[in-house]
Amino acid sequence: MKKLSRLYLVLVFIILYVPIIYLIVYSFSQGDTMTNYHGFTWQHYRDLFADPRMLAIVADTLLVALLSALMATAIGTLGALSIQRTSKRVTRDVLLNLNNILMVSPDVIIGASFLIFFTTLKIPLGFGSVLLSHIAFEIPIVVLMVLPRLREMSPSLLSAAEDLGATTHQLLTKIILPFITPGILAGFFMALTYSLDDFAVTFFVTGNGFSTLSVEIYSRARQGINLEINALSGVMLLFSLLLVGGYYLLQQSSRKRRARKREVTP
Amino acid sequence: MKRLMSLVALLLLVCGGLAYASTQLQKSSGAANGKVLNLYNWGDYIDPALLKKFQAETGYHVNVETFDSNEAMYTKLKQGGTHYDLAVPSEYMVSKLKAAHLLQPLDRTRLTGLNNYDTRFLNQPFDRGNRYSLPYFWGTLGIVYNDRVVKPGTLTHWSQLWSPKYRDQLMLVDSARDILGMALVEQGHSMNTTNPQTLLAATKRLDQLSPNVKAVVADEIKMYMSQDEAAVAVDWSGEAAEMLTQNKHLHYVVPSEGSNLWFDNLVIPKTAQHYQAIYAFLNFMSRPQNAAQNAEYIGYATPNAKAKALLPASVRNDRQFYPDEKTLRHLQVYRNLAPRVVQTYNDRYLEFKMHH
Repeated sequence: MKKLSRLYLVLVFIILYVPIIYLIVYSFSQGDTMTNYHGFTWQHYRDLFADPRMLAIVADTLLVALLSALMATAIGTLGALSIQRTSKRVTRDVLLNLNNILMVSPDVIIGASFLIFFTTLKIPLGFGSVLLSHIAFEIPIVVLMVLPRLREMSPSLLSAAEDLGATTHQLLTKIILPFITPGILAGFFMALTYSLDDFAVTFFVTGNGFSTLSVEIYSRARQGINLEINALSGVMLLFSLLLVGGYYLLQQSSRKRRARKREVTP
Repeated sequence: MKRLMSLVALLLLVCGGLAYASTQLQKSSGAANGKVLNLYNWGDYIDPALLKKFQAETGYHVNVETFDSNEAMYTKLKQGGTHYDLAVPSEYMVSKLKAAHLLQPLDRTRLTGLNNYDTRFLNQPFDRGNRYSLPYFWGTLGIVYNDRVVKPGTLTHWSQLWSPKYRDQLMLVDSARDILGMALVEQGHSMNTTNPQTLLAATKRLDQLSPNVKAVVADEIKMYMSQDEAAVAVDWSGEAAEMLTQNKHLHYVVPSEGSNLWFDNLVIPKTAQHYQAIYAFLNFMSRPQNAAQNAEYIGYATPNAKAKALLPASVRNDRQFYPDEKTLRHLQVYRNLAPRVVQTYNDRYLEFKMHH
């Protein structure tokens, strides 16, 4: 049984990773299509790094992702705190469900409504509109990631701190925030990946020369995608690996820190 | 808390770096001096070298933004909030944009390259007198076949597709107008018919094709054909050109009794701003040398007669993509039909797909 479950796990990982690896293997292939492998070359990577338009789009995509994730994390964390603090059960449920509705509604509808919203307010489409809409659809994700962590926190922890004379400010910065930090980090990274992934919402609100990777790649589909895109996928995978690595290191260091603290305070 | 703060500071630093990199990259390509042209085009549908040449010559930097379907582009243009100076819709979308008052007429006095164009591709029903549009590329609907199964030169007419020889060998591109249009032409009718009776007859004829049809697919058709999954396919010339480069055994033929003729066109949307740049660009792209270079890069057929003359003879005389006079005369451009008629086309096509 144990063998079988391990086999299953391996199989699932193969299915998940083979397409990505296939894509990246072909990024090193001479020739222009993914039909036959023609021998090793760096040419597609050279093409990619010689294409200022593509690089500018990559930089813009990362910028929007990081900045929007940062702001969404700040707003979402505050939102989660306030939902948790709401004492009336009905209000809390309503707030939470309003948050969930945004999570489940289709991207296309959110995108189209943002387009109408921005154009009626005469906000020019471009970096600003993309950033704002990304922040908007990332907030619910952050709330959902932070909230469980807040629920785990025992209320006696807060009462104890208050009894010892902690001010509200100290309560927040010394007790609550450190406790929910893993949730905040998880929310930030989820928001980041959502932003990098998104096509539907972004397509509607891009304009005036500003574009992101997903929109650019998707609109190349009619001509057939060239191997420069494969090379880009390789670079992006490397970037994701670095992100995951960074997340892992952050978690590790906070775990160690906590362990050390426990040793110091008997 | 301190750690969170330092993390935030680090992220902001990275963001600053990215913003700097992005502006530098755009500056290095010359976007910052304000002399720009905003082009809204299909993805990878212009030779990037031409954009550089245009900038070197005129000083205008071209911002290219891309779309993936005519409908998506229509939505963006209609909603406003953008300032595209030029867009590249297909022919039926030109009529639709025109009807929605989203286009500006071309100023003929500022166009210098008009007489480079082949008159057969001007003055089309979707834009009489080319008041709003200049053709960018054109193409056809036709038959792709594999010479390992079909002897070259033997398959030249639509009606041959119904032959029992091709049982379970045929792939169709998933498009109501094109597939019904093929059946209509086979029966000697116009591809723009609005007569329900004629359409019904065409659907009946299509049903007889069912035993031969292996699949009705979209973009994947390219992959299937280049991997010898099917012997015959009905597809557009642009797609066919790509298949042909991938598989030497494939050939493309436009039936001489008639087929569809399609165009992608340059138009000026209502929200355009940089008129100097627009006309500089239109004239630049109309120049034979540049149009020829673009045609070689994209691989579609150019409507620019003088540019065609500059193309290598092997391309210029390729009857697959530049059909002869007789075939050309029988090609039909789709008209923008009334929504009710479009619905009938879609319903009939759906019936065919369900029966199949």
